[in-house]
Amino acid sequence: MTASWRLMLGGFVLAALLPLTANRYTLFVGNAMLVQIVLAVGLNLLVGYAGLLAFVNGALFGIGAYAVAMLRETLHFPFWLALPCAGVVAMVIGVVVALPALRLYGLYLALASIAFAQFALWTFMHWDPVTGGPSGLKVAPVAFSPLPISSELGLYYLSLLVAVAICWLTHNLLRSRIGRALVAIRENETAAESMAIDLTRTKTLVYALAALYAGIAGGLFAPLLGLVVPESYDLFQVVFQFAMVVVGGLGSLLGAVLGAALMVWLQEGLRAFKDLQEIAFGGLILLTVLFLPGGVAGLLRTRLGWREKLHRPVRLR
Amino acid sequence: MAALEIQNVSIAFGGVVALDRVDLAIAAGDIHGIIGPNGAGKTTLLNVITGITPPDSGDILLHGKSIVGLKANLIAASGIRRTFQTSLLCKGMTVLENVMAGLHVKLRAGVLAAAFGLPSVWRDEKDAADAARAALDYVGAGALAERDSGELSFGQQRIVEIARALVSEPRVLLLDEPAVGLSPDRVTQLDALLRRIRNERGVTIVMIEHVIRLVVDVCDRITVMSSGRPIAEGTADEVTRNAEVIEAYLGSALHAVDSHA
Repeated sequence: MTASWRLMLGGFVLAALLPLTANRYTLFVGNAMLVQIVLAVGLNLLVGYAGLLAFVNGALFGIGAYAVAMLRETLHFPFWLALPCAGVVAMVIGVVVALPALRLYGLYLALASIAFAQFALWTFMHWDPVTGGPSGLKVAPVAFSPLPISSELGLYYLSLLVAVAICWLTHNLLRSRIGRALVAIRENETAAESMAIDLTRTKTLVYALAALYAGIAGGLFAPLLGLVVPESYDLFQVVFQFAMVVVGGLGSLLGAVLGAALMVWLQEGLRAFKDLQEIAFGGLILLTVLFLPGGVAGLLRTRLGWREKLHRPVRLR
Repeated sequence: MAALEIQNVSIAFGGVVALDRVDLAIAAGDIHGIIGPNGAGKTTLLNVITGITPPDSGDILLHGKSIVGLKANLIAASGIRRTFQTSLLCKGMTVLENVMAGLHVKLRAGVLAAAFGLPSVWRDEKDAADAARAALDYVGAGALAERDSGELSFGQQRIVEIARALVSEPRVLLLDEPAVGLSPDRVTQLDALLRRIRNERGVTIVMIEHVIRLVVDVCDRITVMSSGRPIAEGTADEVTRNAEVIEAYLGSALHAVDSHA
């Protein structure tokens, strides 16, 4: 087992023990971290591993949240069904948006995806009969009724379970031909094609995964806040998400996890200075890009030799 | 039968004709050199063969089957692998992982199987790692397996790139200036390696090269290109005696070889 994976597992064990000592507020913060970990892992697959600079995840996070709210309130889906459905809805929309974007990269992809993000935000704002407009939708607490735990604790452990599962599945995926194909595409598309890697398929796959993770994260976020409103999914959310993966470390699973935890913690610390938040996260991205391009994970890699493998190490006999 | 046949292939970029009705047959099991001055269309020819820039007209046959119009990844999967003029190893991967990436289509793991880490996927991964190590050993770069590919010297990168192309057991290997930047000793090693790849593995090799010493020594046949057209083809002896070739290109290069020796 690699050092980075041990650190992640250790973190998750601590997270499992947190409710023993936590008050409601720390439980909320811990839950927000777990939700953002799910999102950041997907975003890092897209931006960090595959090198696709797309700003779609803020909107897809929102789509997941709205989907859960609508499915539960309007169609009376139980939460255990609404949550995976929200993931699938976000994934389908993500892929539909991705198809025309498959040939785009760099600046053009960035611009096209920002347009999508703005369009999604506009829809959240103005499609009143469905999204509730600016005042949004209320989301009732999730009942875990056969289990003898409160709604908050239930959601926390569900989020933990999802976060661990997403990290484990992604960890495996990265150590297969798929992880290597993503990095190959990031480094040079022509070279990747010449190694018989199908660009269209692989890119579609990574857009779908990032969207799925964002949708599930949004679906967990909605009942956590108890409210789905458009401003949770605006440009600030996009900046916040990029801060997670850039500060944590692009192209690193551990980086996504650490970045998500750090940024949620920082956001809570800055809660009193709401106006400062946007400047703070934007500035943090800038400083990291300038002075620590690999993020925290890059620092661990260069200083401690914590390399995350893209294949399964074979034990030498 | 020819391993690779290029028939009447043309391509122009915005009015500039890069390849002008090129006909070329590469015999199976040959090491075939392509030489010519800069801008002669040599790299364009490799890009056209590999589907990176499909030709405007003409046909390309791999062992008798047309591959024109196929996407580049499918052409690679059908058994044509290449290296690039500027080494394109992936940073952020070890040397071993780079070579394993060359096995992408041979490993068939789907998303779910890979994500859930099914035993069959891990068995394939182990076989892939073994094959990649074997390919690295074969080219004499076994000791580099665990290094980050960003740390390699230019010459090491070139050799690893050959291993990455070779690991998928291609039928045709296209090399774009494999000897550029190599020391004379390394060129001699490359010479021996190319012969082994052809003799032991039966791989047909097409090589663009400016190091004439290597081309003359290792190639069974040589095509000389100039201004998007082959102007001469033959054995090393035939080509180096061709007056037109000496005129177009070789004069200065042969001179360079003499001054090297």
